[in-house]
Amino acid sequence: MYAGLSSPIRRWDPRLKVISIFALIFSIMLLYDLKLVIISMLFAIILVYISRIPFSFVVGRLKWVFLFLMPFLVILPFTIIGEGVEIAHFSSITLNFRGMESVEFAVMIVIKALTSVMLIFPMIGTSRMDVTIKALEGLHLPNKLVQMFAFTYRYIFVLSNEFMLMERSLTSRGFRRGSNLYTITTLSKAIATLFVMSYEQAERVFYAMRSKGYTGKITTMHEFTLRPQDWLYTVVVCGFAIFVQVAVWYGTLEGT
Amino acid sequence: MSAIKIQDLSYMYDDGTAAIENVSFEIENGEAVALIGPNGAGKSTLLLHLNGILHSATSFESIRILDEPVDPKKIHEMPKKIGIVFQNADDMLFMPLLGDDVAFGPINLGLEKDEVQRRVKDALEMVGLAGYEHRVPHHLSGGEKRRAALATVLSMEPEILAMDEPTANLDPKSRRELIEILRRLKEKGKTLLIITHDVNAIPELAERVIVLNKTVIADGPTRDIFFRNRNACEDRPGCACDNAAL
Repeated sequence: MYAGLSSPIRRWDPRLKVISIFALIFSIMLLYDLKLVIISMLFAIILVYISRIPFSFVVGRLKWVFLFLMPFLVILPFTIIGEGVEIAHFSSITLNFRGMESVEFAVMIVIKALTSVMLIFPMIGTSRMDVTIKALEGLHLPNKLVQMFAFTYRYIFVLSNEFMLMERSLTSRGFRRGSNLYTITTLSKAIATLFVMSYEQAERVFYAMRSKGYTGKITTMHEFTLRPQDWLYTVVVCGFAIFVQVAVWYGTLEGT
Repeated sequence: MSAIKIQDLSYMYDDGTAAIENVSFEIENGEAVALIGPNGAGKSTLLLHLNGILHSATSFESIRILDEPVDPKKIHEMPKKIGIVFQNADDMLFMPLLGDDVAFGPINLGLEKDEVQRRVKDALEMVGLAGYEHRVPHHLSGGEKRRAALATVLSMEPEILAMDEPTANLDPKSRRELIEILRRLKEKGKTLLIITHDVNAIPELAERVIVLNKTVIADGPTRDIFFRNRNACEDRPGCACDNAAL
């Protein structure tokens, strides 16, 4: 949607962009220090800002992720192994609060997850999907994986269009969505039909591919050229990924 | 030299239903033939036999393309000889960009990069989609998709072109454009086998018609087939055999 926006992140070579941001995500996932996690989140916010993807768009997507992460905030402070203070008792179940450390731990997990998802936006959202797919191919990722990614992207529109037609057909015959069993069973049947249709289409696509000489590997034509700026952005992002790890290592050394 | 030669070809689906039975015909090089018949007559099934995608124990001996048998183990070599355009263009446009889709066949043929690029350019020009290399297939209109699907096959420069209902569901303008493209290909001497229900387009595209209903029930020059059908109908008041056959 925002692949057309002009920004340094958009102009960044997609192969280096994918590698660098993946490295950063990996580095953040390894962190167990709340301060460093917060610094990483600020760095991710800066990257989103530079990419010019509207924050409202990013936040709109992140709120759904947060919905899945919320249970961590509620459950972790009462379930981490260790001594705790009893705060409630329900028959045989005792609720022990494990202290502020466990709250910090839960917050850290949530921030790490949100930061990682946030970084996906500058990585994927600043290039057209076909460019990203070619970048993955250029990085010599397993060809089967690239094919799966490419086909998912290509046919998701066809299938969503099919489902839309199906829904229109249902509506034109008096079907109204509601919070009842009838709606669930009707939509389940429609989705099941969609699965069958997609299977049949997959077979036809495979025939078409074999008709064009497909033997199991897809190669496309792509021309990526690396510029000095591409390396500069890579050094900055990968440098930050290394910096947080060095900070953890240094902190551990100081602690001992 | 015959482009397509089929002798006693039969094929059964897995459930035992006969799709085609004892089909035999021969198409000469440079000939343009329309294959017509009712729904479920086995036309599309027959088409998939021509490059070995569908095959049976006997089909190896039954089909010869450019005087060579169709070996199911060498399907990847068939695109050089015969290009098949499927009915649903979405089945043929599976790559992120149209340029990639058109290049897919030539790349699989092992051609050099420059040659692939030349073929992509030529094929798109031939179907009136010059400059569409960087377009996303699912954003194309129905008519454009149909022409794009044809380009993905033309880029392999096959000697024979087999098409499954190329003009189906097209608006009059798109239909006319596609017929013009096929006419140009015919004038260039390509062997064409066109499955169609569009009887009005047949006289423009094909000099010969084969009527299939699991087996070949009529085969001859276009004028004779339609004239014979009309006479047969006139002899039998209320006869709907032409509708049934087409």
